[in-house]
Amino acid sequence: MEQFRPLSYDALQVGETFVSDTKLVTPEDVEAYAYAVDDHHPWFSEDSPFGGPIAHPTLLANQALHLRHSKYIVRAGLHAKMEFEFLEPIRPGVRARSRGTVIDKYERRGKPYMVTEYVTEAEDGTVLVRGRFTQMLFRD
Amino acid sequence: MSTLAADTAAPGLALPPLVKEISQRKIDVYSGVKPYSIHTDEAWARKKGFRAPLAQAMMSTAYVSELMTRFVGAGFVKGGTMSMVFIKPVYVGDRLTVHGVVKERRAEGNATTRVVVEVWCENQDGDKTAVGTASGLLAGGAA
Repeated sequence: MEQFRPLSYDALQVGETFVSDTKLVTPEDVEAYAYAVDDHHPWFSEDSPFGGPIAHPTLLANQALHLRHSKYIVRAGLHAKMEFEFLEPIRPGVRARSRGTVIDKYERRGKPYMVTEYVTEAEDGTVLVRGRFTQMLFRD
Repeated sequence: MSTLAADTAAPGLALPPLVKEISQRKIDVYSGVKPYSIHTDEAWARKKGFRAPLAQAMMSTAYVSELMTRFVGAGFVKGGTMSMVFIKPVYVGDRLTVHGVVKERRAEGNATTRVVVEVWCENQDGDKTAVGTASGLLAGGAA
């Protein structure tokens, strides 16, 4: 059983780790994402050079970005930076999860930030995407 | 499989821009509707100091991904990179234009070339909202 607490700069520890739930990527997820970002490339619904349809490379980015929600209650935050390395295509049918580690926290111009390094991988351990992101924390 | 344009693109080449209309419905689908969200709860967004709900910054990475997949093809989906800094909020009702200009081509290994593109999103007022670089792999080692 997880014990959730409000996210604060002081509570957050560098070296802290997060793990998401496993997500089954469905054709409906790909369709909804295509609508949301208005990108209806045929590779996402028909065939692709990888054999069969694939998902948008950024489809699972929110799984990584929301890692801190697996431990904390996060009322608001701003996304400052995002880095991706797209290593393997994401295919409908894959079960994927993200893992992350807080690698830095700092204050700049009076605002608190956290930096997370993440990897998103398939159930068989294949790394699909990796990278890091920086989020600003709101003070209440 | 890359596009002919990417195979021959020299530094300075401007990619065909994309235009994205930011609606609340698209934000809702992207972010999921919930209370206490600056993306989908207008009252909460205002309480946090914003004039309207914000698009998730991550949506701009999807737009850049589209730009790069159209330009580079499979070598962006597998082997691509992206690094973005989000510098201004994107609000519901904004119209974003997504730009890319080829910055560099460099050999990567014996058989591939990495093409690096400077990318940015700007709103209807001409203000940049996100800036960065993205890259993808092309078959052929001669940069």
